[in-house]
Order: sequence, then C-alpha cells, then structure tokens
Amino acid sequence: MGQALVTGLNGLSYAFILFLLAAGFSLTFGVMGVLNLTHGALFVFGAYVGLQAIDSFGPFWLAIIFAAASLAVIGFLLYYFFLRHLYNKVPEQAVLTIGLSYMVANVILWIWGPRAQIAQTPDLLEGALKVGTLGFPIYRVFIVGVGLLVLGLLWWIQDRTRWGAIIRAGMDNKEMTVALGVNYGFVSTAVFLLGIALAGAAGILGAPIVGAYPSMGDNLLLLTLIVVVVGGTGYIQGTMLGALVIGLVDTFGKAYVPKTALFFAYIIFLIILLVRPSGLIGRKVF
Amino acid sequence: MSRTPEELPGDEAYTGDVLAGAPAPRVPRTFLAIGLPVLVIAVIVLVLPLFIPSFVASLVTKMMIYGLFGVSLNIIWGYAGIPSFGHAAFFGVGAYGAGILILKAGISNFWLNLLLALIATAVIAAILGVPAFRVFGVGAGAVNPIYFLLATIAFGEILSRVAIAVRPVTGGSTGLSGIPEPQLGFGFRVTSGRYYYLVFVLVAICLYIVWRIVNSHYGYALRGIHDNEKRMQALGYNTWLYKYTSWIIAAVFGGMAGVLFAYYGNTLMPNNMAMVTSDIAFLLVIMGSATTFFGPLVASVIYVGIEYLASLYLKDRWPLIFGAMFVITIMVIPQGLGVFIQKLWKKVIGGSAA
Repeated sequence: MGQALVTGLNGLSYAFILFLLAAGFSLTFGVMGVLNLTHGALFVFGAYVGLQAIDSFGPFWLAIIFAAASLAVIGFLLYYFFLRHLYNKVPEQAVLTIGLSYMVANVILWIWGPRAQIAQTPDLLEGALKVGTLGFPIYRVFIVGVGLLVLGLLWWIQDRTRWGAIIRAGMDNKEMTVALGVNYGFVSTAVFLLGIALAGAAGILGAPIVGAYPSMGDNLLLLTLIVVVVGGTGYIQGTMLGALVIGLVDTFGKAYVPKTALFFAYIIFLIILLVRPSGLIGRKVF
Repeated sequence: MSRTPEELPGDEAYTGDVLAGAPAPRVPRTFLAIGLPVLVIAVIVLVLPLFIPSFVASLVTKMMIYGLFGVSLNIIWGYAGIPSFGHAAFFGVGAYGAGILILKAGISNFWLNLLLALIATAVIAAILGVPAFRVFGVGAGAVNPIYFLLATIAFGEILSRVAIAVRPVTGGSTGLSGIPEPQLGFGFRVTSGRYYYLVFVLVAICLYIVWRIVNSHYGYALRGIHDNEKRMQALGYNTWLYKYTSWIIAAVFGGMAGVLFAYYGNTLMPNNMAMVTSDIAFLLVIMGSATTFFGPLVASVIYVGIEYLASLYLKDRWPLIFGAMFVITIMVIPQGLGVFIQKLWKKVIGGSAA
C-alpha cells in the first residue's frame, strides 16, 4: 500500500512535468493553430539556459525567470522572422519547426557539449518528505505545486479573463473576431510567447528530475504529442487530463510490469485515436 | 509531367471519364516532354558507373533509394494531400523486415525476402491506417489533418522504440548489422558494383508503377480528394477507401526503398524508422515540390550530395545543415525545385517545338 502511494506520488509529479511540457505546445497549437514542433528542443534549450544561469549567477528561481525570458525572446524571433509568414499554413509550419528543432538541438550540442547535465535541486527544496516510513522528495511535491499553479493560471486566463474570451472567440471564428475590432493578432502573439516561455521554464523546472541532454528533444516532442492527442487540444484541462493519464499509467506500469510498460503510453495513444480521435476533452481546432 | 495536381483545371479533376480520353492527341508532344528526358536520364544513370569512382556510384545508389522513398511519400502527400510525417515507419518496416528475414529467419533469397518484407509493410500500414484515418478528412470522427500529422509523427517514433525494446529480434539500439549481399538465385553474385544496377532496375520499375498509378483514374480521384474531399464524396466516391488504399500503396513503395536500403547499407539502426528518417522523406517532398512527380528525385540528388559533403567537412554540424535545409526550403522556395525545373523545361520545349 505504502509502495503504491509513493508510486502514485511519483506518477503525479511525472504527470505534472508532462503537463508543464505539453501546456505550452497545447497553448500555441490550440490557440494560434501554430504547430510548433520545436517545442521539445526549446524545452531542452530552456533547461540548458537555466543551468547556465545557475552556474553563472544565481539562485534557482532567478534561473527559471531567466530561462522563460530568453525563450520568450527566441519565441518572438521565431514568430517575427518565420511563423508570421506562414500563417494558417500548418504543414509548412511543421516543416519549418522540424528543421529548427534540428538546428536548436545541434546548437545546444555545439555550445554545451554532448554530456548529460543533472541539475542540482535548490537547497530549499532538498530532502525528503516523510510519510510514515516512506520518504518522498520534496522537489517532486514542489513540481506538483508549480504544475497546479500553472494549471490554475492558464485555466483562469482561459475562462475568466478578456484575453481568454478573445482566444476562445478566435478559435471558433477568427474572421468574425477580427471583424469585431478585437486585436486578435496581439493577443494570440502574446499567448504564443507565453507558451514558448512556459517551455523554457518547464525545461529548467524539470531538469532536476528528467535531466538534460542535447538529443532529448525528440523524446519530449513524442511525449508532448501523445499527451496532447490523448487529452485533446483547445482546453487546458484536456492537456492536464492527458498528462495525468500518461504520467500515472507510465509510472505504475514501470513500477509493476517494467518490461511492457514502455508500450503503455503508445497503446493508450492508439486506442484514443481509434475511439475518441478528438481526445478525452477536445474540441475541433479550426 | 505536364499534368500535375496544381495545374489541373479544377473541374476536370473530379471526373475521371473526361480525362481518360483527353490527352490522346498530344502523344508525340508528351514523348518529347516526358519520354525524352526520362530516357536520357535513364541512359546517363545506367552508364554512369563506367566513368565514376565506386564511392560516387554508391552515392548515386543512395540517391535512387531516397528518391523512391520521397516519391512514395509524394503519392499520399502530393497527390492525395495527406501530410504524413511518419513515412519512415514503412521504410523501417521494409528495411527491418528484410534484415530480420535474412539474419534471424535465415531466408537468403532476395526475391522472397523482398516479397515478405513488402507484405509486412502493407500489413503494418493497414493496421496503422485505421486509427490514423479516424482523424483525417470529412465525416464522422474526423478531426482535422493536423491531428493526422501528429499521429503519424508518433507512429515512426513508436515503431523505432519498439525496435529498440525487442532486442532479440531487432538487435535493440545497436540495430542489425552484417546483412549479406542479396542472393538473386541462379548463382548470380550481386557485388556492390552490381547492386547499383539492381537498385536502378527496381527503382525504375517502381517509379513506372507509381507513375501509372498517379495518372490512372485512381490517381485523379486522389487529386480530387486533395482539392475538395466533400465534393468527391458528393460524387459518390468512398474517399476514406481511396485515402486508406493510397496510404498502403505509399507504404509499400516506402517499404521497397527500405528493403533496398537494408541491402545497401548492410546495417540497420532504430533511427531508420524514427523521426529523423521521416523528416528526410519529408524534406525530399518539400524541397522537390509536392506538385511534381519527379521533384523528390531531384531533391534526393541534392540531399544526398549535401549529406556527403557535410560528412566530409562538417560532420559535427550536420544536423544544423539538415535543419537549415528545411528552413531555407520553406522560406525561400516553398513551392519546391520541381516547379522551377518544370517551368524551365516547358520553356525549352515550347521554344523548340513551336
């Protein structure tokens, strides 16, 4: 029972890392209809930038902000130089961002070398939480907390703010929204940058648990896609649900049937495609 | 190459009957426009090994294999308008199928091997096609093409993970190595020099078949689906079946390229199924232009050439160059090289024939 509890908590923290990873992708994809396949590579880039920041100047929380900010700048450049010209051309966006993800991965390799990096957890979050006889790393609890915070924030933006309303309106009918005089372009760009910044922050947040190495972007992208397809796009709740399902199933699978667990996420993915192609909670994106 | 999906007058695309008889009076012109360059290129490729060092011949072999790979993706991408990002899944199944049959099952005959590997590819494609096409197109259950794109990206990756996981059969992450030279039977030895010709003949046959397919009634139906699927449905076409079968056809030719690749490189890695390889096919189609039949072949020549040069001078920066090829293609020549060549060729033909 105790073991199951710890596994459950591990699964939960993994699910929230997945959520942080996929939320940015889901945001840019579901809201702007921009398929940003660089997402995995940018996540890794965020991790490296954050680690560099910790090395050179400072505390963990500053590194998170630094990673998010630099990724937002990169996101802006990405938007300004490339994606702006590929509006509504999804296959072209895919081609572009695939190419960019190779370039980002290689630049990471170029700057920081091929060695995998393990981030130190900040002193404050070191140690374990004792539940009876079982210990549980505080950092994982922290990740769950951050994940919940981000979930709440995005949910609030989506459902309760004017921006959220604009975004939802734009998803339903972009032309009509623009025709009503709403500056949809500005809002969607801001949300796009938010999504990319989230990837960067998630990169450094996840680094103490999943580590960072230059070629991990592909793995992360695959995970992101699975989470997004299982959960459905367009709603942040969907992404959360997808992350929970994949995170928990994967962790429990690895704990009890380690050999076959590798395939669980894929099997779920295929079943969802067959039974409910729009995802668990999904809406049609344009 | 005079009739491409883009250039088709809109309405003709939906009625195969009109087109069936249409091009008849232009036969001599078609020969000049298509037959002649094809013949010239074929002869050049055929006599090329006599004049070039063997490592260049090996590069040309790779160009032919990748060319077929690109063309096979173009069946669904360019003609049916289905943006599949996981084409390496089939390349990999073909390659691994052949490799496993030789090394693990001990079937040495090339033709039997080829046949079984292609059947395996078709079966895998048929299985993966069911969930994939749940999300693509119009009608019940369909979400949108982007979901299809996401799903297909995952297919190749998933298969490569499976290949890593089932180590006893696939050799795990180190892959399969030591694939012997193909046994064609009759005691005929296929040395690496002769393999060039084997690839040439098989790729030429495949290209001819693909050419016939995309220019048949069936091929025009695919173009119709590309342009307006709802209208095709209204005309009574079972568009799902057309897309599903074209997916399998594309997969089989992709698998064919995979089998040839397995014998070419003698070594298979899980990467041959993964996103990296899908992206190669993808780059070939985009760079060569999805609207021309021969585009991916042109792109494959350029791609393999650049890959070789990079492996000589900038080995460490290859992914950077590879990525830059995507970016440059999409930002500078989004319609692809094939279109340019086609325009140029038309000018040449127009000038001389008029």
